Amino acid sequence: MKLGNSLLQLALWGVAALPTVTAAAWGFTDATVSVHTKGAGVGTGSKDVIPDNKALSKPVALGSADTLKVALTAQEGSSPKQANQVFLLLQDPETGLDISYPFSVKNNGKSRLELAMKDLPLQFLAPSKPLEARFLIGSFGTSAAYNGVAFPLTVARDPNEPVPTVEVSRYGKLPEIHHIFKADAQSPPVVITLVFVAMALACLPVLGGVWLFLGVNFKQLPTALQSAPLSHAIFLGSLLAIEGVFFLYYTHWNLFQMLPAVAAAGTVAFVSGSRALGEVQGRRLAGLR
Amino acid sequence: MRWCLSILLFCFLAVAHALSSSGNRLLVVLEDADDKGLYSTFWGDLEARGYDLDFQSPKSSDLSLFKYGEKAYDHLLILPPRSKGLGPALSPKNIVDFVNKDGNVLLGLSGKSTTPSAISSLLIELDFHMSSDRSSVIVDHFNYDTISAPEKHDVLIVPRPGQLRSDTKDFFGGEGVLAFPTASPHTLGDDNNLVAPIVRAPATAYSYNPKEDAGSVEEVAATGSQLAIVSAMQGRNSARFTLLGSVESLQDQWFSATVKTPGSGKKTPTANREFAQQLTAWTFKETGVLKVGKVEHSLATDVELKEPNPTMYRIKNEIVYSIELSEYDQDHFVPFEVPTNDALQLEFTMLSPFHRLNLEPSGRTANSTIYSTRFTVPDQHGIFSFRVNYKRPFFSNIEEKEEVTVRHFAHDEYPRSWKITGGWVWIAGLWSVIGGFLAFVVVWLYSAPKATVESKKTQ
Repeated sequence: MKLGNSLLQLALWGVAALPTVTAAAWGFTDATVSVHTKGAGVGTGSKDVIPDNKALSKPVALGSADTLKVALTAQEGSSPKQANQVFLLLQDPETGLDISYPFSVKNNGKSRLELAMKDLPLQFLAPSKPLEARFLIGSFGTSAAYNGVAFPLTVARDPNEPVPTVEVSRYGKLPEIHHIFKADAQSPPVVITLVFVAMALACLPVLGGVWLFLGVNFKQLPTALQSAPLSHAIFLGSLLAIEGVFFLYYTHWNLFQMLPAVAAAGTVAFVSGSRALGEVQGRRLAGLR
Repeated sequence: MRWCLSILLFCFLAVAHALSSSGNRLLVVLEDADDKGLYSTFWGDLEARGYDLDFQSPKSSDLSLFKYGEKAYDHLLILPPRSKGLGPALSPKNIVDFVNKDGNVLLGLSGKSTTPSAISSLLIELDFHMSSDRSSVIVDHFNYDTISAPEKHDVLIVPRPGQLRSDTKDFFGGEGVLAFPTASPHTLGDDNNLVAPIVRAPATAYSYNPKEDAGSVEEVAATGSQLAIVSAMQGRNSARFTLLGSVESLQDQWFSATVKTPGSGKKTPTANREFAQQLTAWTFKETGVLKVGKVEHSLATDVELKEPNPTMYRIKNEIVYSIELSEYDQDHFVPFEVPTNDALQLEFTMLSPFHRLNLEPSGRTANSTIYSTRFTVPDQHGIFSFRVNYKRPFFSNIEEKEEVTVRHFAHDEYPRSWKITGGWVWIAGLWSVIGGFLAFVVVWLYSAPKATVESKKTQ
């Protein structure tokens, strides 16, 4: 909107600059712009003469310790006169922000303005393009007011010094946030797992082999089955059943299905086991083991 | 009986019908009854839109904004008083109370007379700042009406305002130019997201006190576009307060004026009447009012919405959230469209947002748009809430919040151990121990001792 405004004004000014019927127009003469560095001697710094009612093409640089001094004589038509509005308008061509500084004006139209970097708003301290400094000279009455570019103003800041920023709160959309999930648990490569599975399972044949080496045999099986066939079969069966129940519990049973089954199988194992072990004791007492 | 009641209710509704979404009782505070005629087109436009205008003088003894503790009017329009203040019924505190009770206020100022300090202190409460002399006018030697103010340059001609920002809706735009005679300038507080300028002065404008007869202006508090002519404040309760710097712009004379700016050859008619319509429509809640319809969330797998809005989710669930929004436009609700460059956002928060996602339109009904998004619940259990906090300049505020519990995986929801390849070693070890145990039992029961042992025992 602001840009549109300034464009409109430019257009208006462009039209107004044409030789129109207005009797007199505001303008300026004897305009100079100078930059003085604080602490430097007299006569240093730059001083440029701005041609009457025209712009200085060379940019003016304002450093952090400098003072910008602008002097001009406002005139209506060709006679010097005090104008109600003698402003230096600074505009950022990028953002369209504007601020005006009034001159101190004498009765004869001689106007002066001093501007230091601390007078500039924060937003103007680090512009991407040179600021546009314009003279606004106008007053009440029918004379056309003057609004023209005076000089480009570059703000020369110490690059090592951080640009002050201003944080203001405005309602608007906020950056999106996507939750970062914790990484899922990882398994080692299947090959390594399989090697260790093979090692774990290999323990059984190794155990069997060692037992055979130590002379394990089943020579007393027929004796045992002859003397107490039922209790031995039931005892071993119930042990297998308990492990089977545990397997079912591992795969899909719940605790309340598992506990009665184990209790039943355990009672059977206890009763049949005491009989079977009695038979074993008998064999021991008979000196068979 | 019920039949009678419904007819009675129907009649009542028909009488109470107004365009505004928040009532039609409008109090116009006007000190001088003679001034009423100057604004006759404006009053006519308001009445045509269904407002019930009640003109009162601030001096009137039975004037009160409240009745039995409730507000007696829905909207308030204050024209600048000639005297030093607005009286006890319209003290700054009462007006702020009125705004706090969802009343909308349009306050007109004029640069012709000094603004009373009571009004200026009311404006400070709302973060509008006036110049310290309170009697300045905006003067622009480049954008004034050469027909009506060739000498004083105090009739400001500005284009119709556009968008405030690239992501806001343009409620006040249109063709044409606006004329603001003897506009009283104000500036806005820096860090306040409740206030927004509607019309700003051109860059070449400045504020000038005609009573100070200085040769030239040498001290200015604010210049150019920092000066606002029309601004708005919308409270957290969505009550609206509009400050119009130039109440004269509402007069019949300026509704139908033709103006000419210096430099431009042609005369243009003003668009003040359309702008006044837009401004009152916004202030009195005919536009920019948002309404939330159905809010739904569910598991993404629950496509048929068998269980909408459950109170509990599990971490890492896929959720679909949708919200239905309507916008009030003049006299009915229309589907709400999010302005370009803006976004309606959903936050899934526990203390701070874990997710902030843009909601995309997924459907629309005759008078609402359904916005939805789909996301995975964060891997953090606790009490979360779905929050849609849509606060934008010129739109009424939406703050929708719904709490849900997010629980851990239950013991039977984890993958089983055989599905984890790393667990195979332990499973294999376990079953080999079991196998070894059974084998040991058999061996212990039936193995005969070796012969050497046997010979020892026989000895």
